[in-house]
Amino acid sequence: MVKLKRILFASATALALSLTAAQAAELRVGFTLDAHTLDPANHRNRETETIIRNMYDGLLTRDGEMKVVPEIAEAFVMVSPTVYDFRIREGITFHDGSPLTAEDVRFTLERLTAEGAMGEGQTSPRKSLLGPLQSVEVRDGNTVRITLSEPWPILPAMLPFQEVVSKAFVEKVGTQGLATQVNGTGPFKLVAWRKGDAIIMERFDDYYGGAASIEPVGKACVDRAIFKIIPESASRVAALLSGDVDIINELPPFSVEQVKNNPGTDVMTVNGTRSFFIAMNMEGELFGDAKVRRAAAHAIDKDLIIDRILGGNAARIEGILSPDAFAASTDLPRYEYDPDKARALLAEAGYPDGIDVTMDTVGAYKDIAEAVASLLTKAGIRTRVAVGEGAQMTQKWRTKGGPKSGDMYFTSWGNGSLDPFDIFTPTHRTNDRGNSAGYANPELDRLLDEAAVELDTEKRAALYRKAEQMVNADLPYVYLWVPQDIYGVSKRLKGWRPSADSRINLHDACVD
Amino acid sequence: MSLGKLTERLLHLVPVLLGVSVIVFLMMALTPGDPVDIMIGDQSVTPEEEQAMREDLGLDLPVHRQFLVFLGNAVQGDFGTSFYHRRPVFDVIVERLPATIELSLVALVIALMTAIPLGVLAAIRRNSILDKMATVGSLLGVSLPGFWFGILLLMLFAVHLQLLPVSGRIGFDSEIEPITHFLLIDTLLRGRPDAFWDALKHILLPAITLGLPMTAILMRVTRTSMLEVMRQDYIVFAEAKGLRRGRILFRHALKNALIPTVSVAAIETGSLLGGNMIVETVFGWPGLGRLVVESVFLRNYPLVQAAVLFYAVTYVLLNFIADLLYTTLNPRVKL
Repeated sequence: MVKLKRILFASATALALSLTAAQAAELRVGFTLDAHTLDPANHRNRETETIIRNMYDGLLTRDGEMKVVPEIAEAFVMVSPTVYDFRIREGITFHDGSPLTAEDVRFTLERLTAEGAMGEGQTSPRKSLLGPLQSVEVRDGNTVRITLSEPWPILPAMLPFQEVVSKAFVEKVGTQGLATQVNGTGPFKLVAWRKGDAIIMERFDDYYGGAASIEPVGKACVDRAIFKIIPESASRVAALLSGDVDIINELPPFSVEQVKNNPGTDVMTVNGTRSFFIAMNMEGELFGDAKVRRAAAHAIDKDLIIDRILGGNAARIEGILSPDAFAASTDLPRYEYDPDKARALLAEAGYPDGIDVTMDTVGAYKDIAEAVASLLTKAGIRTRVAVGEGAQMTQKWRTKGGPKSGDMYFTSWGNGSLDPFDIFTPTHRTNDRGNSAGYANPELDRLLDEAAVELDTEKRAALYRKAEQMVNADLPYVYLWVPQDIYGVSKRLKGWRPSADSRINLHDACVD
Repeated sequence: MSLGKLTERLLHLVPVLLGVSVIVFLMMALTPGDPVDIMIGDQSVTPEEEQAMREDLGLDLPVHRQFLVFLGNAVQGDFGTSFYHRRPVFDVIVERLPATIELSLVALVIALMTAIPLGVLAAIRRNSILDKMATVGSLLGVSLPGFWFGILLLMLFAVHLQLLPVSGRIGFDSEIEPITHFLLIDTLLRGRPDAFWDALKHILLPAITLGLPMTAILMRVTRTSMLEVMRQDYIVFAEAKGLRRGRILFRHALKNALIPTVSVAAIETGSLLGGNMIVETVFGWPGLGRLVVESVFLRNYPLVQAAVLFYAVTYVLLNFIADLLYTTLNPRVKL
């Protein structure tokens, strides 16, 4: 009897608790991948950063227009091309109630960049994201000075990728502890991490409000925010349709209509940062010839594919940069769809009967690659699509100067910082990591190197524009489009907008 | 089985494990794809920084040295650090294991509880409509891809009827302090029937999806073996004696007919582990299967190696259990 009573009492308490929880505003995000770790300095993964960023704030952040603005910093100045001063805002507290100081910022940056600073001889895998950072010192109590070993104009653009940790906390729990515990200054506190399943967070009531220039400033709107991990896209859509979650990322274009037609849900899009292109192996006999490369560009009806397959959710490009990126050109010559011209170019190059090629790609891009292949085939470039696994394709095509095999490679490159440095250099500089076309142009290399360290914004933009004209003419790649990021949202969601850097910032989000 | 035999069987594990670890290691090493490249992704990095990351992960050593380091550590119970989680792989695997085991066990129970009655019914009503339906059903059960069937169940029960949740192990209002890490048990131990019900609702669809092919196979085995037993002399004799049909079926026939079913079930439990990889992805189930698939794509070598070793040990043990059960149930066979 006593036992029965106890069970009844426990059930009643549980029921009461769950009722309270149900009344509190709770926002759930159906998200593709779980965080690998909760330590902001110990990963190299965009999904991990998206989750962490709701609990940790950075020195700088980006506003809705992707402009870099101070967050934990109050203001910053470039003292010289290699020295930057950041004045730290006062009155910011960590989740454990301790105040944030300039020393915490110095410690954070040092932990990210110093050799072996993660403990047990390990260096942060994020070190290279801070380029030539040489030293960090605290001056006058609340100013942090960053000294670079060489000019690096994109330092402010790269700082939003780093989050500030508490020195005392890290020293207490160690790098091992920081993998699963959070003591940040962000709008949400960690409640529980159910690994592989969900990250449960609650509002941090002593939040300082976030970046002063991004409205609304203040505490988060919802009481609880949850990242629920649903890797399979059909299941993510199902979770949204059933009302189980309020936001889902990576909504597949073919599910857009279904989500729009469902009474309680809608679709939101934002210009993405990932450029799609087809690499043509310039070391090979066929695509070594510029005429054949131009024929390929004229054979593809980009507008048709954007319209019919991507549901209109993409922006056409004629160079590597997204239209939203720094220094993107608007006046590049367009390679219009013209299959006759393509055939004529092939004939001029000595292939009046057309050519047979293989286009490699990965499973996720198979459908679009096949549509592109059918257009190429119609114009005399008879294309067979070969689907391989991601890592395998990377090894085959991104050879960093090693010999290349294969004809064409349908691929993409992300540019979260929206700075050309991050996408132009790796994909076009001779023998660089992402140069899958095997393109080698010393003049372009010189332009890219110069632009990387040029501090005058106007001059720097001019250099990149010139570089884009150059690659538009040389055409190592057929530049295709930049798809929008597509999110499914419930109609009870208010105040949230998707962000072009793929971050899901839940600070402003409210639910009815 | 004598103690000596038992020890002998367990000793067989040693060469199996050694073989498996060599094969897994070589397969991962020979698979194209570079962990450091995948980790850096679409970012600029200097060759020196790339080299430093490679050294940090121990990938700068020649393959045979890497293998020796792995083996040396593994025999001491250290399976290395996950490239991505930056924690010991053993810890990462152990966190995910209970979800996988719980799902497999519930799938097994569902499979047994459906397959045995259906198989028996199909056998005693041979060639009836029921028998034919069961035959077609089992054919479908084996051939339907789990991926497709799972999504079908989701659309019906979670989206249209809204009876069951889409994904996860338990709802967010049912937070409980773990004891055994098996939620169906922990919720009861903590006196939370509401949370138990919640966990049960979460596990139902994935367990049915996972158990479907096994149900189909076990039903066929039960039916065939039941038919065979019903033809035996002792059954004919029992019938001639005028025993009631129920008594003949359950006391005499079923007991013997279940011998193959039980041993097939034990072996097939191993294949549940394989099926987990798909089912866990569809239902967002936070188990080991999904983790392994993700790790293969990321070339997270240490985690894949340790997980495959774990699968190998489980498979060998399950086969061993199958043998034991067979000899216990059927005294005519001796190991």
